[in-house]
Amino acid sequence: MTETFLVARNIAKRFGALTALANVDLEIRSGEVLALLGDNGAGKSTFIKILAGAHPPSDGELVIEGHPVAFHSPKDAAASGIATIFQELALSENLSIAENVFLGRELKRSIFGIPFLKRKEMRQRVDGLLKELDAHISDPEAPVGSLSGGQRQAVAICRALNLNARLVIMDEPTAALAVAETRKVLALTRRLAARGCAVVLISHNISEVFEVADRIVVFRRGRKVAERLAADTNHEEVVSLITGAHPDVRALEKTN
Amino acid sequence: MNAVRQFGNGVFSMNGREWSLLVACLLAIVIFSVASPHYATSGNAATVLRNSVELLLIGLGMTLLLAMGGIDVSIGIVMGLAAIAIGRVLGADGNPALAIIVGPLVGALLGCVTAAVVVLGRVPAIVGTLGLLGVYRTAVFVLLGGQWLSGLPSSLTNLLATTALGVPVPALVIAVAYLAVWLALRRTPYGLHLLAIGNSEEKARLSGIPVIKVRFITFVISGVLTGIAAMFYVATYRNVEMTIGSTLALDAIAAVILGGTSILGGRCSLIGTVLGVLLLRILQNGLLLIGVPSLWQPVVTGVLIIGVLGFEAVSNRFPLAQLRRARA
Ligand SMILES: Nc1ncnc2c1ncn2[C@@H]1O[C@H](COP(=O)(O)OP(=O)(O)OP(=O)(O)O)[C@@H](O)[C@H]1O
Ligand SMILES: [Mg+2]
Repeated sequence: MTETFLVARNIAKRFGALTALANVDLEIRSGEVLALLGDNGAGKSTFIKILAGAHPPSDGELVIEGHPVAFHSPKDAAASGIATIFQELALSENLSIAENVFLGRELKRSIFGIPFLKRKEMRQRVDGLLKELDAHISDPEAPVGSLSGGQRQAVAICRALNLNARLVIMDEPTAALAVAETRKVLALTRRLAARGCAVVLISHNISEVFEVADRIVVFRRGRKVAERLAADTNHEEVVSLITGAHPDVRALEKTN
Repeated sequence: MNAVRQFGNGVFSMNGREWSLLVACLLAIVIFSVASPHYATSGNAATVLRNSVELLLIGLGMTLLLAMGGIDVSIGIVMGLAAIAIGRVLGADGNPALAIIVGPLVGALLGCVTAAVVVLGRVPAIVGTLGLLGVYRTAVFVLLGGQWLSGLPSSLTNLLATTALGVPVPALVIAVAYLAVWLALRRTPYGLHLLAIGNSEEKARLSGIPVIKVRFITFVISGVLTGIAAMFYVATYRNVEMTIGSTLALDAIAAVILGGTSILGGRCSLIGTVLGVLLLRILQNGLLLIGVPSLWQPVVTGVLIIGVLGFEAVSNRFPLAQLRRARA
């Protein structure tokens, strides 16, 4: 059922003398929610920035569906079907939901050489996406500035979907949200996976991770120290993996 | 409700702010008619409309600039330079066709210069255009050599005083300019990009918008509109004086923010700009007729700017600025 979408092999990232990532091997599968966990500074954001094309890796390679890829900009990553929702959402509060979803790649028709917006098509498309995500937003013409934090996450997810993203990366999407909104965003995350998208989710909230993730990967000091199926592990084990108290992690760190 | 409606903007659809501007215009007309016997004449109405032509054209461009989070305080002198170019061409051979081409051309060229400084040079628009204002002022002085350009041939005046399709040419040109700017703003990707940049340049860039290109083009559009304004200026007065355009930028900025365009960018109203220009010109003309010296006109404009911004600060507490702060 789940197919491998992206393989990261032996990824390393050095910032000058600082090694932010080393020897990271990771597989990302379509239809699966993969959670990245780890302490502050473990290298999670650095890793997803490499996936998003925002940083070039110092070492290692990315393979998408069997083909090696090299990203020089976020646009390259987007062209390969990778959409990243950064924590500070890049939405324009003064524009409508539909306009935001299409911003930068509007549907247009040329009349006398002038590109005119296909406003009706865009609205219908966004209406469909919002319904599909069950985002509880009735009016795609509403300005994004009038939406709640969770609804804005939904708009950002729509934007990713509209890109026909095969992989959606979310860096701490629920960090600033209240309980009810968090529920909705988590449900959206599941729905993305159900659509066949690969999802990578970064979170510091372990119970939240158990609610949505199929697989859990733990980073520690720039290395991947553990990978577990969510069904095969529990809250305590994950905490000990993150803090380094787990015997596996200790053994690993001794050999290095 | 209002906020949502703002996004479905029709060509002439009006919100509360715009209706109140219209009421203010009518109210001013009634008050001045009572106060001065010379006010309510068809001749004076024509004067007010005549005096609004340049400001309407420049105001459309200024609306785009402010909506984008930009500004151009040198725009009045840009019109002066374009007027000098038109005057020279007209004075040389009296050919109005050439004069019509030269205005927008010089405007576009100066728009490119402003864009080069502000957009490519990454100088904040207020600072960059203030610097250019100083340069252009001296350029006007040097070009005119301390003398007025006067007694220009009437060929251009005659051409622009005609009617086309039963409508006076200036009204027709303004209508076409309004429609073109409205279409660009509300019906093309360019308009969305401009408003996104006005909201946040960084977010616009992350969304894949060609920020530099959009900003550059907008300064050029403003320049072209200003060049067309210069054409009407020369046609009307048939002279160019040293102080040409010195209060135009202030008037344009006042009219535009009076019309509901945000000084912080991201939100604008074209119909508001039109009404703002008319209100400003009605007030200036009316005060003159009831005996207030023209010396006081910039005071009226200044007080209007401060009044509008102060009123907005108190009543809305700058909703956009607040949003921005909350999300920063
Ligand atoms: N651009 C950069 N230049 C230099 N060092 C960097 C840069 N980006 C990240 N780092 C360093 O790399 C390490 C990993 O940082 P990263 O942001 O990936 O951690 P994280 O796991 O996302 O942490 P958090 O949970 O706090 O977000 C840190 O030591 C950080 O200081
Ligand atoms: Mg991080």
